[in-house]
Amino acid sequence: MLHGMTAPTIVSTTDLHRRYGEGPAAVDALAGVSVDIARGAFTAIMGASGSGKSTLMHLMAGLDTPTGGSVRLDGVEIADLDDKRLTELRRDRVGFVFQAFNLLPVLTAEENLVLPLTIAGRKPDAAWLESLIEAVGLGDRRTHRPSELSGGQQQRVAIARALVSKPAVVFADEPTGNLDSNASAEVLDLLRRAVDEFEQTVVMVTHDASAAAYADRLIVLADGRVAHDTVAGSADEILDVMKAVGP
Amino acid sequence: MKRVALRGLRARPLRTALTALAVVLGVAMIAGTYILTDTINRSFVDVFAQASSGTDVAIVPEKVDEDFFSDPPPLDQRLLRQVSKVDGVDSASGAIFGSVSIRKPDGTPVANESFVSALQPAPFEQFRFVEGRAPRAEDEIGLDQATFDDHGFKLGDRVKIVGEQGARSLELVGAARFGDISSPAGLPVAITTLPTAQSLSGREGELDGISVSAADGLSPALLRGRVRGALRGEPVAVRTGSEDAAAQAADLEEDFGFLRTALLVFGGIALFVGAFVIYNTFSITVAQRTRELALLRMIGATRRQVLRSVVLEAAVIGLIASLLGLLGGLALVPALRGLLGAIGAELPSTASVIATRTIVVALLVGVVVTVIASLVPALRATRIAPIAALRDGLTAAPRAGRARLVIALLLCVAGAVVVAIGLLGDASAGSAAATLGAGSVAVFLGVALFSPQLVRPIASIVGAPMERLAGVSGRLARENATRNPARTAVTAAALMVGVALVVFVTIFAAGLQGSIDRAVDRAFAGDLTVGAKSGFGETPPAVAAAVRRVQGVGAVSSVRFTEGRIAKEKSTTQVVGIDPRTIARTYKLRWKQGSDRTLARLGTDGILADTGYSKSARIGDRVPMLTPAGKRVTYVIRGLLDEGSEFGLLGGGLVIPNERLAADFDATDDAFVFLRYAPGADGAQVRDAIDRTLAQSFPDAQTRDREQVKEQQAGQINQVLYLIYALLALSLIVSLFGIVNTLALSIFERTRELGLLRAVGMSRRQVKRIVRLEAVITSLIGALLGLVLGVLFALAISRPLEADGFRLTFPVGTLVALVIGAALAGMLASLWPARRAARLDVLRALAYE
Repeated sequence: MLHGMTAPTIVSTTDLHRRYGEGPAAVDALAGVSVDIARGAFTAIMGASGSGKSTLMHLMAGLDTPTGGSVRLDGVEIADLDDKRLTELRRDRVGFVFQAFNLLPVLTAEENLVLPLTIAGRKPDAAWLESLIEAVGLGDRRTHRPSELSGGQQQRVAIARALVSKPAVVFADEPTGNLDSNASAEVLDLLRRAVDEFEQTVVMVTHDASAAAYADRLIVLADGRVAHDTVAGSADEILDVMKAVGP
Repeated sequence: MKRVALRGLRARPLRTALTALAVVLGVAMIAGTYILTDTINRSFVDVFAQASSGTDVAIVPEKVDEDFFSDPPPLDQRLLRQVSKVDGVDSASGAIFGSVSIRKPDGTPVANESFVSALQPAPFEQFRFVEGRAPRAEDEIGLDQATFDDHGFKLGDRVKIVGEQGARSLELVGAARFGDISSPAGLPVAITTLPTAQSLSGREGELDGISVSAADGLSPALLRGRVRGALRGEPVAVRTGSEDAAAQAADLEEDFGFLRTALLVFGGIALFVGAFVIYNTFSITVAQRTRELALLRMIGATRRQVLRSVVLEAAVIGLIASLLGLLGGLALVPALRGLLGAIGAELPSTASVIATRTIVVALLVGVVVTVIASLVPALRATRIAPIAALRDGLTAAPRAGRARLVIALLLCVAGAVVVAIGLLGDASAGSAAATLGAGSVAVFLGVALFSPQLVRPIASIVGAPMERLAGVSGRLARENATRNPARTAVTAAALMVGVALVVFVTIFAAGLQGSIDRAVDRAFAGDLTVGAKSGFGETPPAVAAAVRRVQGVGAVSSVRFTEGRIAKEKSTTQVVGIDPRTIARTYKLRWKQGSDRTLARLGTDGILADTGYSKSARIGDRVPMLTPAGKRVTYVIRGLLDEGSEFGLLGGGLVIPNERLAADFDATDDAFVFLRYAPGADGAQVRDAIDRTLAQSFPDAQTRDREQVKEQQAGQINQVLYLIYALLALSLIVSLFGIVNTLALSIFERTRELGLLRAVGMSRRQVKRIVRLEAVITSLIGALLGLVLGVLFALAISRPLEADGFRLTFPVGTLVALVIGAALAGMLASLWPARRAARLDVLRALAYE
């Protein structure tokens, strides 16, 4: 466990490029992005549609392969990994939350929660599991199927799952996109607590300024490049930044 | 991961059930076959054991040749006295067991096959009379209890028995149980005194066997040795009682082997079709679960874990299918028995025997087939990229890779080559059939792999009239069918297999029928034939004699069939017996070398050879032969016939005068009696007279004119044809399930789309029509592919048979009816899915995620 345990940067990308297609019709989703994600911080990535924000996250998480540049996650050069190692990485050191369809419909909330551990063939630490379930507020819902949970509750289960293996970083792709303002607030609170109380690193892609306001740092992309990289302020300040960056 | 797989199956019970059904029918057929043949076997084995339970040593006629169909000649009765004198013999008794027809009080036969058994003294006799008494006089008879009870016989009735010599009427004096049961293996048996039994089965002065009991303290094995010594040089086999029972059981096992294999093949075909359906279902469900599987990969499941999960699902479905199939097999047994009974194979009905082997095979087969069929989709599942969890929308239809087409073509070509080897090679019937089977499987797989390419063109052809007639529904149906050609093609391919086989046998049977019709037309020079009612049987010589005496009958000519063994030949040679003096007046022989005048010059050892026997035979050749009667004879070829190349009734072997058949072969029964009216006689009157004579003394014989002869042959062919249809029906049903499955799954997939259509104004009926037409398009694709393949197979097999006079005819009407039937079947399959589609709640469908 020597890799990057105490280093301040947990994920870093160097001159990342991602091109789709060939020749004159090619599209550069990312055209040279270098960012360093700080350990123990809540980072929000924003940008207009087509700015490359989702692509950046996919590449950081090892879900996609860059056409240029490199990604280093928790001390490991992702490009060096074969499918098996990459899978293990995702299982043990990365947590995911997406906008929708996070859970397997045939499993209960609790089973969904411990799924990464089950896949690894490991049993969860009972105390840790209990505190996690309590933290996300799903004590009385643990045996329910996803179809019996509200959107917000489903997202909370997803967050708990992302945290259960105590990963190096949690990636969240528009986690509040499908939720009303109450549920959104609950979810964002949880993510904030994950960073503050559980010392997690969270990277969240969002288009919602009030969601980004929960974060410590804001990265804005435009046309496949970093347009802005600062401390995240209030929702209004963030809106101003977005306006400045352009449509 | 295991939990995910199992929960997934449980969450969708209907889908799981439908998928399992694809394999259930195939397993049921296989299980049913084993249960049926094991049951029959067991009941006969029990009978054999029971029959020899009182016998220490049994003496039976020695087999003349392993391959002869005919029974060896019976034992001479004088052997009984010789045996009785052997030291250590306590008692010895002669046994007769022959075929007769027992008539019910109303005159119809009790069963297709009945038997007569001579009463033996204790300890040999196994029939115990429970009503009345055992027969003592020559005109008395007993019946097995089952026959007695089932057909309303009463003690004192006069029972009509039709045997070798004609019909006899005997007084019923008792009903007996065979050991513990009311009849041996469910077969009807008449019990008479020895002389009566001998006369009824035409074995005066002869015995079918001798049963011997040993003196106290003497072992059967020792006595066997002594009896063997005493009968040295006689054509007998001497065995202990238990050895005899075992030998009979072994013979039976051989006979049933063929039947069992044939039925298993049909079960195999149903499984093969089932595999197509499983493959398709898993392909579709894997595609539908892309997001779920991608999610698992995202969270960290390895490829192998995903593979194991899908394969586990398949294994569980296979297990369910096997268990249901076992039950289904039990249910299928009476149906199979009925089917076989319809073509005249009378099979006993006793409690079903479910051997361990049957259970193991059923379980193995169901699981293995399902797992293998699911492998390719499972592998495809492992290739789902984790990132697919984040993407919305349906997966695009996989494009046909170059590799796929190449493999398809290779399979077709390889399969065709193997089929050719099977047809033209010189192998035995068994391995030729296996080669043909393997080649056909390869061709089917190859065509199935290639068929996605054909979906669009065929769908356009078939869909154009549909669009014309059904408007937008037709158009959408066609689009849907072509949206994922691979999926449509595999569903259609399942139907293709069954249709191809049905088309093949139909064309083949039509060709056979046509060839036989032509042969009869060409050669039939008489007015009538007289033969057994059942068509496969023979008539005793008394029939020909009786017919000859009828007023107005001119020429009468008997034809007999038997066999002989020529040294160094691989199989036995067919022998046809004719009456050289009269045959030419009733039958037009086809000569290669010689003429009708040759018949007069045959003498005592002259015979004719047909091209079917050997193409290199020459006049003057000497033919040494072993006959079923055990005699070694040598004949000289004096003429060459060409019957065999035109399906001639007399073709295929050697043609020998009936006098020789009687003397050397012990063959006195006639297969046909050809006759011609005397010049100037009134045909109708003469026929009436003959019919009356037969009804009185030979109720098992019947007159037929030329058209009726053709009808009878057609009837026999059709019987087998319908049996094959019934057995293939199983595979067709499986493929229809496949259509139901595919439709239901794709409707589920298109829920949002259908909701949209309904929201925009399409009526429920129109939605139903779309689904129905899709099913029709799919089944028509399958039917057309099957039609083409079936025709190709028929063409292939007709080549080597052309030399024997087989000409292909295409029963166009039947074939068109088949295609229409397929379309109707498709409509039937679509009923339930269509209703489901129409019942979609619009709002829920639109909100469907």
